[in-house]
Amino acid sequence: MPYAALQAIRPSQPFAPSGDALPRAARSFALAALLVAAPAATPSAAAARSDAPGPTLAVEDTMRTEVPEVLVRAPRVTLDEILDRVARGEARRDSLLRDVAFTATLRVVRDPDGAKGPQLVEERVSRVYRKKPGKVRTVNLRTWRLKASKRMDADVSFSSGTEEEIVNFAFRPEARKDFKYRIVGRDLLGDHLIYRIAFEPRSLLGATEPGGLVWVDTRDFVIVRQELDISRSPAPLFIKGIDRVVIERQEVNGHWVLRRLLMRARFTVPVPRFGRALDLAVQFDDYAINRGIDDAIFAKAARP
Amino acid sequence: MTHVVRRPLVRPCVPLAARHALLALAITAAALTVAPRDAGAQEHAPPDSSLHRFLDTLADSTDRYFGLIAAPLDTAGLDSALAAGLARPWHGPRTRLRPRLGPVYAFNRVDGTLWGGSVAWSPRNARWRVGGDVGYAAGSDAWLGGGELALGVRRRETMWSLRVTGGRRTMLMNRDHGERRLASARALLTGSDRQNYLRRDGITVAVGASAADWRAAIEYRDRLESPLAVTTRWNLTRSALAAGDNLAASPGRARELAFAGDLRLAGLPFHAQLNHQVSDEAIGSDFDYRRARLALGGEIVAGGRVSLVPQLVYGRLAGDPVPQAAFFLGGSRTLKSLRSDSLGGTAIAVARLELIGVDDLLALARIPHPAMVPIQGGAFAAIGAVWGADPFGGPGTPTGGWPERSAWMSEVGLSLLYRPGMPDEDAYLRVNLAWPVGLHDGRARWSVSYSRALDMLRRL
Repeated sequence: MPYAALQAIRPSQPFAPSGDALPRAARSFALAALLVAAPAATPSAAAARSDAPGPTLAVEDTMRTEVPEVLVRAPRVTLDEILDRVARGEARRDSLLRDVAFTATLRVVRDPDGAKGPQLVEERVSRVYRKKPGKVRTVNLRTWRLKASKRMDADVSFSSGTEEEIVNFAFRPEARKDFKYRIVGRDLLGDHLIYRIAFEPRSLLGATEPGGLVWVDTRDFVIVRQELDISRSPAPLFIKGIDRVVIERQEVNGHWVLRRLLMRARFTVPVPRFGRALDLAVQFDDYAINRGIDDAIFAKAARP
Repeated sequence: MTHVVRRPLVRPCVPLAARHALLALAITAAALTVAPRDAGAQEHAPPDSSLHRFLDTLADSTDRYFGLIAAPLDTAGLDSALAAGLARPWHGPRTRLRPRLGPVYAFNRVDGTLWGGSVAWSPRNARWRVGGDVGYAAGSDAWLGGGELALGVRRRETMWSLRVTGGRRTMLMNRDHGERRLASARALLTGSDRQNYLRRDGITVAVGASAADWRAAIEYRDRLESPLAVTTRWNLTRSALAAGDNLAASPGRARELAFAGDLRLAGLPFHAQLNHQVSDEAIGSDFDYRRARLALGGEIVAGGRVSLVPQLVYGRLAGDPVPQAAFFLGGSRTLKSLRSDSLGGTAIAVARLELIGVDDLLALARIPHPAMVPIQGGAFAAIGAVWGADPFGGPGTPTGGWPERSAWMSEVGLSLLYRPGMPDEDAYLRVNLAWPVGLHDGRARWSVSYSRALDMLRRL
């Protein structure tokens, strides 16, 4: 990974799914094209895949459904109230986590749509243990590189925090002044009401914050999925653009936690080892939450 | 495989509630027909959850987009690797104390060529940074450099910092603004650097705090300040120096207490910034002055394509009118139609309104160009004045709270802006064309600068 790009995605604090203030450079690099992402994120886009072979879902286009009108007298929840609840929901989500262990997989793939096809450049698997307050340990399980390199080293370090700021940076109370929000849609899924909320930075100057789209489950008011969009490259000199960034969460034992971060970036010039584009992903598996991690895990051995 | 038909199930005639129900049905059906995801993902999703099926559907779409990188993890051997990893002694998070080394190069008319190197330690995850640099200035025949220690700690939402710096350096006379790299390039290529310099030997200790909407810092400075003479008159194009001399600083020991604050105004897209410095015999200083500078700046977005950037500065110097504490007018960060720091005084007032477009002008004009050079356009109008004692030795003008009418100078102009994204991700490389208007007449002036859009606000 180019050093400059690494600097961009690696915050001064760890490039962690959670932790302290996530620098804007990290967010900036975590760009995605919302216009590309949004259709793919709705069921309607699945129609575009209808040329794939396999079973076909039959369409009943003669059926009509009529339901009587219901006059709703209760006031509709305002956007501000939703944003307040999301901030509280995210804070509550974090407060319920005492300790977390998970397996994190970092992957880098070069030239994802190049003529030679995508090629895995690096894979790093780690087991991460976090325990409040302030304890963290990362155990490296596997490191694989296409070519050994000392300088080009994509690394992920994890902080002890479980806030997952990379998911909720735009919905933290202190960030409300920096973004504009709008409700894009409401989806009823079983007994879950999902709000789709788009956000965009208020400022147009400099390397702006990313915009994006989040899916909020109103049962817990937590963000269950996010797609980021920065239509302007954070560093136009070297980064042509970020096509797409997807951040997924999963529910594990009643807790919403990170599942994957995926990003595709393009460079203005071919970069050694990575070509003109790369995919970067961090995948989170095998969670163990609030199982009471033994403090011995974090005990440091005496240096010889 | 999924074949979902989007429109037939969501007819416009269907009431909203039913539409949502049908949409949910369609999504559920789609999710059911999707090929099973990896075992790890399925394990956590309750089988009867519409939400999880919905999310899995979106995840499948993501998988197809990203392809190889989204493949499930091969878990073979991980258990044994974990057991072995946990059995090994652990000495804490990796800190990597490898220093970062780099070259140092600068060029100006008082030091000539400065060659040197820098070293810095800033371990990942650490809250401290140590660094230093040293170089030899061939023109002034002096070794220059210094060191820095910075510590930071977060307490709740506030970041506290301590910074200690010291050394012997050539610094800019204009303490409000200045260019380093671009000025070096100008001086080396054409000798057109007009900034004035002085030598400072000493230390600065600063304590700061910052949060989302405010920053504050207090500094103590103890520095021996001395004037510098021009030692180097050559440049690569063999041009005559644009400024053949260097404004002499008043020599002496300057001990200062400095306060700085930056506040985001509640409910407004503006920042207010105050910088106040006190130098007094009571703290052992050879100088006695109080210098205050108030700046206000912000951004108003119009139509999502244009930023309106108003900025105001007002500053006063009371006490000894030493040149190194004076205010300077002229240059890219005050009035672009004037040469850099061409006027000085013990008070300053500047107002500028700038319009910056977000769109790439070349793309709008359908001119083929590389993606790495998006060019933005801007227009500006500014007015400013300095008054009071003249640091250049002129007769000066009356000192007071407001300048005489004749002291005001105004301008209008156009800019082309390019943001390379580095070394400062927010800074623009600008080419400006400014026309003086009103009482201050003269010719249009071209200038090149590198600064943030809100360039009258200092970085604390």
